[in-house]
Amino acid sequence: MRTKELAFALLHPLLAVCVGLLAGALAIWVVGASVIETYAELWKGAFGSFYFFTNTLTRATPIILIGLGVALAFRAGFFNLGAEGQMVLGAVSAALTALYLPGPGWVKLIAALLAGFLAGGLWSILAGWLDAAFRLNLLITTLLMNYIAALFAGYLVTEPFKDTSGSAAMAQTPMIDNTVWLPKLFSGMSLHAGFLIAVTAAILLYLMIRSSSFGYEVRVLGYNPSFAAYGGIRRTRVMLWSMLISGGLAGLAGTVEVLGMQYRYIDGALTAPGYAWTGLMATLLANSHPLGTAAAGILLAALETGAMGVERNTEVPLEIASVIQAVLILFVSVKFSYSFWKRKKGRGSHGTTA
Amino acid sequence: MEQLLDLSLLNSTIRMVTPILLAALGGALCARVGLFNVGLEGLILIGAFSAIVGNHFTGSLLLAILFAVLCVVLFSLLFAYITIDLKANEIVVGIALNFLATGLTTFALRTIFDVKGAFYDKNMEGLPSIDLPIMGDVPVVGTILSGHSPLVYLAFGLVFVLHIYLFKTVSGFRLLAAGENLTAAKSLGMKVRRTQYGAILVCGLLCGLAGAQLSLGQVTMFSEGMTAGRGFIALVAMMLGQSNPFGVMGASLLFGFMDALSIRLQGFSIPTHFTLMLPYVMTIAAMFFFRDKSYLQLAQRGGGGSR
Repeated sequence: MRTKELAFALLHPLLAVCVGLLAGALAIWVVGASVIETYAELWKGAFGSFYFFTNTLTRATPIILIGLGVALAFRAGFFNLGAEGQMVLGAVSAALTALYLPGPGWVKLIAALLAGFLAGGLWSILAGWLDAAFRLNLLITTLLMNYIAALFAGYLVTEPFKDTSGSAAMAQTPMIDNTVWLPKLFSGMSLHAGFLIAVTAAILLYLMIRSSSFGYEVRVLGYNPSFAAYGGIRRTRVMLWSMLISGGLAGLAGTVEVLGMQYRYIDGALTAPGYAWTGLMATLLANSHPLGTAAAGILLAALETGAMGVERNTEVPLEIASVIQAVLILFVSVKFSYSFWKRKKGRGSHGTTA
Repeated sequence: MEQLLDLSLLNSTIRMVTPILLAALGGALCARVGLFNVGLEGLILIGAFSAIVGNHFTGSLLLAILFAVLCVVLFSLLFAYITIDLKANEIVVGIALNFLATGLTTFALRTIFDVKGAFYDKNMEGLPSIDLPIMGDVPVVGTILSGHSPLVYLAFGLVFVLHIYLFKTVSGFRLLAAGENLTAAKSLGMKVRRTQYGAILVCGLLCGLAGAQLSLGQVTMFSEGMTAGRGFIALVAMMLGQSNPFGVMGASLLFGFMDALSIRLQGFSIPTHFTLMLPYVMTIAAMFFFRDKSYLQLAQRGGGGSR
């Protein structure tokens, strides 16, 4: 029975991936390009060489961290749609800490990581608190707070903390000193230590959800809130903690991008690639399983880096990746293989009620 | 202060509010049949884009609007099928549809017009503005109400139509019943599935109009993600108005006012970043003051609420 359940659990995302690729093929066909050639370029761009593979992992890093955060909130039964704002605030706080905190490089690095985590976490907890204390719907508040956070960070780097040294009038902070950078894992490649942080976070979160008492409370609250209340689990406390960690991971995603890739906060550099939304998709694809989220994050990142290769070498635009991703998520939300089967069975025995 | 609050501000409020109002009315219909439609944002975006496409290729505004409505209705058919027949979580589907809309419009923008970011054609005509015949001559009222696009008047007209439909007709009562208790409505032999489909398709129609007003109403252009959260603001307007047409109109007017005000404030020495925040901050503040438990149950029914 267990193998059968596992097969169903895996079959489902796989089927969704197939539907996604099929939709992508349709889009490619409409553009008038060769489907096989385009998909070959997609594969090459994502996994074609060690260099491209590390690029994919680099892109997956913030996606995984955000996905993990959203997954934890999902597990507890909350929709945290505010990852984008949390990430941006984490990134800008980390950049400013790394720039203006006195002390040796490693102290700054740790402080910046902490600042990034806390900034994201506190922004997220604010939404949680608004829900707990004033019953403001979390789904909406987290969403709206994205816009506020992005605009606030934009203000910080266009007015008080703008880089005035360069000739270009870009909205960005000055460059962070290279003693505070996260080290690269291979020389000449973009992959940085942030990836290790993301993988560690995935494993820690997996262990935490599986075997800690907090993880148990999160799961029960998510599965059955009334039972959780009956069992004496304090909803507000669990919610605020999961929102803190959830937002903190999103903040950390922004932080590792700043400390490992860009070495400064550039306005729009984190929102334009849509990391936050891809992270959310990774969670949905993996049904909130931490390790699965990491794998799904790599898959979705591969689609995106692969699509860059597609755009370089064919007529098909880059956005093919977002079409495939969206269709994939659309169909993963449908429990179609299973529900079809179940519904047919139900109809046979005693009609349908719902 | 006088510069800030004059009659033309109220005039632009009405213009700004139209996409939000149309989408919120659509969302309200969905909510009334028990479906929480988070996909409004994506639906408006598709509408905005297809209106531009229609206008570009047919050169006729009427056909452009019809094309936009058609595209969005087809798109919402997808939402209906997946949520009603395949029984997927409507919040997740809504979010996925928003992604899909963003991806599709950007993809199509690149393939059809071969541009990145935005498409603007100075030869393209926007929606005409109508000067009201008698009302337009009344000093204060005329300045506020006159000179809008036909869609603006249509939107406000629809508020009355929907109100009468929902609360004064038999078919409207059936619709309310379907949302109130699906199983009970079904047991009375009502065609609940058809009602739900109908509500979602009308919502698509309204969002198509909202998109057309957005891209053709003022400046005739489309830019990537030009809805900028209006769909979500419409969602909040719908919740604040408790899915009641007049309530929705009131809430939408509040947001439209903030939207217009935020643009006006940019002329002052306040940093633009803060003025742009205004609609979002006000939305959260409005949720705070007008919070009501009924919409929470609604969101919970969708499985996506926070409790």
